Amino acid sequence: MIKVDTTTLSNIINQCFAFSSDGRLSPSQQATMLADGKRLRGLLMNLLSAQFNDGTQAVLDANNQLTKVNATLANSATALANTVQTLNEITSLVGNLDKLLNVVAGVV
Amino acid sequence: MITLPKSKAFALVAAISILTGCAANRYEAPVSSFRDKTQQTINVLSTFYSSRNSYEVALYLQTVAADSSLRVETTDASGNPTPLGKPVFSPASIKARLDALTVVGVYANRLYDLANTTAPSKFQSATTALGSNLSSLDKSFQKLQGESDPTANKYVGPISSLVGTIGEMFLERKRDELITKAVTDGAPQVEIILSQVRDDMDKIFSLEIITGSNERLATLISAYNNSDRAKLTYEQRMARLNEIEAAFNEVTASIGSAPSGLVASMMEAHKALVQEATSPQKAKMNNLAALNGALQQWTTQIETLSTQIKPLLH
Repeated sequence: MIKVDTTTLSNIINQCFAFSSDGRLSPSQQATMLADGKRLRGLLMNLLSAQFNDGTQAVLDANNQLTKVNATLANSATALANTVQTLNEITSLVGNLDKLLNVVAGVV
Repeated sequence: MITLPKSKAFALVAAISILTGCAANRYEAPVSSFRDKTQQTINVLSTFYSSRNSYEVALYLQTVAADSSLRVETTDASGNPTPLGKPVFSPASIKARLDALTVVGVYANRLYDLANTTAPSKFQSATTALGSNLSSLDKSFQKLQGESDPTANKYVGPISSLVGTIGEMFLERKRDELITKAVTDGAPQVEIILSQVRDDMDKIFSLEIITGSNERLATLISAYNNSDRAKLTYEQRMARLNEIEAAFNEVTASIGSAPSGLVASMMEAHKALVQEATSPQKAKMNNLAALNGALQQWTTQIETLSTQIKPLLH
């Protein structure tokens, strides 16, 4: 059985919340960061104890995406220079994690 | 008949008393302390576990309070239940953890009884009452095993085994042998249970409270920044800023992983107890000192970490 990388997901959530009060973003971008952070945390609560069958491609893809988004957000200069792209990446992540809930095989 | 001078007789009696007293009560102080600290730790952790769902409800309601356009719902527009509609953590999985801690507490209590009683026969008379309690705990776990919550399953094996060990404590007579046997037999299961509790704290509840406290802080900051601050009095602004300060302190507390640290301290003290109980006679004094040191460290940790955990309870 495999799991979603919830530690990295938590890092992303915390970074979204941090950006939601970052004065370098516009008020609407801040609001989007806050909304995305809340949405991701809702997913985290469901994924914390979720397990998936070994080799589930959607989980492997999601974990790769988590690593990529986390790296983008961790480099705040890059994230801020490409805010629109960063927000799109987070939106895409939300969608993919949401789909994962349909293929949960069990809970720990 | 051999007679001794009064002073020599007194010295001999005193020496015998001290020697037998030391042998009989070697465990009394550390095991009593171990029992007390176990209960304190269990109380703190049980409160923490029990408040997880109310923490999530409070977080949800704060989000609603911060945005006047939001309504209170049990199911959101996407069809997902809110914390008001369905507990975020299943009551069965919370109960499994609380029961696991209860069994560890019973283990500490039985060790305390063994270390303190002067009448081993008391164990026999207490067997029925305690035995039935343990039996019902065991049964509740057997029942959980068949239910839908797989989280509970990993606790079933070690708890059943530990319940068996505790039961056996009543059948023996010699204190030291009993304690050594009880610790030797029970320790592996206690270690497994505590390791799982610690892992739960690190992998599940730590992530819950770190992201939860950051969400609370971000929500309050956003609400403040988006409010019409010019219409607020100085006192009203300070009240809101004080809430933000409290949320910031909660974030700081959540980063410290206090619940996990508390379990780790308990595990260290238990490890020292095992070493003391199972070591050769020659090493016992050194190990007793190490055990007392671990207990002291645990005492300090309980005081510090209990304070850190308080902001994480709702």
